[in-house]
Amino acid sequence: MADSPEEIYKSIKKIKLIGWVLAVFTVITVGLSYVELPTHSLNMLVGMIVAAFKAALVALIFMHLNHEAKLIYKILAFTAAFAIALFFLFVFSASDPLVFSGFYESNQ
Amino acid sequence: MDIPYTVTARPDTGLYNAKVGIWLFLASEVMLFGGLFSSYIFLRVGADYHWPVHELDVRLGFINTLVLIFSSVTVLLAWANLKLRKIGKFKLYLFLTILCAGAFMGIKSIEYKSKFSHYAVKLTDGTFLTGHLPHGYEIKFGDVTNLTLTVQSQTAAIDADPVSYVLPLIQGEVPKFKTESGEEITLDKDSFAKLRADALAKAKESGKNSGTIKLTSVAPLTFQAKPTKILGYAATALTFRDGTVAEGKLLDDKMTLEVDGVDTRSVPDSEKSLAWSSQYLGESWKKAFIATRDHAQAEFKEKYPNRDPQKSATHQKEAFYLKIKSATPPAAEPHGEDHKAEAKAEEHGDAHAAHGHHPEVVLEKKDIAFYSNYTPKLNTYYAIYFTLTGLHGLHVVAGALVLGYFLFFDGKMLRNDPERLANRVEVGGLFWHFVDLVWIFLFPLLYLL
Repeated sequence: MADSPEEIYKSIKKIKLIGWVLAVFTVITVGLSYVELPTHSLNMLVGMIVAAFKAALVALIFMHLNHEAKLIYKILAFTAAFAIALFFLFVFSASDPLVFSGFYESNQ
Repeated sequence: MDIPYTVTARPDTGLYNAKVGIWLFLASEVMLFGGLFSSYIFLRVGADYHWPVHELDVRLGFINTLVLIFSSVTVLLAWANLKLRKIGKFKLYLFLTILCAGAFMGIKSIEYKSKFSHYAVKLTDGTFLTGHLPHGYEIKFGDVTNLTLTVQSQTAAIDADPVSYVLPLIQGEVPKFKTESGEEITLDKDSFAKLRADALAKAKESGKNSGTIKLTSVAPLTFQAKPTKILGYAATALTFRDGTVAEGKLLDDKMTLEVDGVDTRSVPDSEKSLAWSSQYLGESWKKAFIATRDHAQAEFKEKYPNRDPQKSATHQKEAFYLKIKSATPPAAEPHGEDHKAEAKAEEHGDAHAAHGHHPEVVLEKKDIAFYSNYTPKLNTYYAIYFTLTGLHGLHVVAGALVLGYFLFFDGKMLRNDPERLANRVEVGGLFWHFVDLVWIFLFPLLYLL
């Protein structure tokens, strides 16, 4: 944690710099979305990589996760694991669970 | 009792307590938004329509992104200046942050409002016409003298309630009604309760669960109603939502639409879309559409000779979704430099377009399969758009309230214990950054990709 005045002055500079970097990457995100890549999925992938990079800057610098107490990393490890699990829930929509349960046969 | 460890770190965690608290809260917030992002993935993977890309106002979304980034910087600067005890600057930056929240919500409300007044009409062949309804959309039904009401003795989904469902739709003065016995009444809650009791008593005598009440109005009635306010209608009868049937004549159920777009992506043969029939947009707009389409296809082929145009969502949109920005079709010369000049001229035309410079079509009810404004009813994209941005907007408001409290109501703490207030601002700032973090993903997912 930046506590001494010198350190705080230093961090103010860093904050402003990161603000500019985020703005520039926002322009890049918008620009890239108009580039016709071979598939739209690639556009999605590139867009999400840029967004993840911006999010990482916010989390690491603005939310100072680059130097935080151990406890917070422990909390966030669980958070990340469950969040990632959430994003893959849609795979269950690919199959109809009623088929396996015999629902349709018994209703014929 | 004082709350412990508001300034100094607790020995076992190494943190002041509020920080542990806010991170636990943010972890739960990640779960909340994670679930909704998961829904976004699910809806997008399963969408059976063309998922909108670049359909929202990218400029406004872009400005809002910058506003949030700027506010993320100012909230940190407020904290840093408080740490340095530069109180004036601390207050200024915190105020700027709250101002940004206001600007964000203001821009968001402009975006929302334009969606509420913009409509998409799906024709029976799958064509979508988009535009504005200059007079709204209402069904007119007139020459009504006879009303038949059905009352139920047991609780039922549809039970006569003319005071709520019929009377409000009458155009002009509400006349008196004659009952079957010839008595002239003013239809209101009390008189209807009496009629209802009589009808049910009669029904009970003949062993039925439902009774009917026939009413004759002394003057012919005209009804005007949004389609959602009634159950259904035909040429000579209209059924209200309470089951009451009116006999009369359908006067008007045509929809007047100021068209600003024709989306033929779901039509097998775009040239045969209903939109081009002579009573709607007609030959000249069809020619303009074909010119734009062929131009887009030729350009795609030239730029990407090895790619399948069917698989390019942006190309499909460019070729088969005609945007209309003038009341009459542009001269069909979409080649070379002229086209660019024309496109530019069209962009300038946007301001005029807002004043009704669009072709107007009068749609027959039989050609309309579905219509909605750009709200969750239209499709799953707008459902998740409003859910995600609405919830995000609530977070922006909540963040502004918390930071506003520190600015306007924490003067005592600022004087007596500035270090504790600095920690408060830091924790509020962490929440604020999380709100920004969510938007960093929302902007590309909803506006750009």
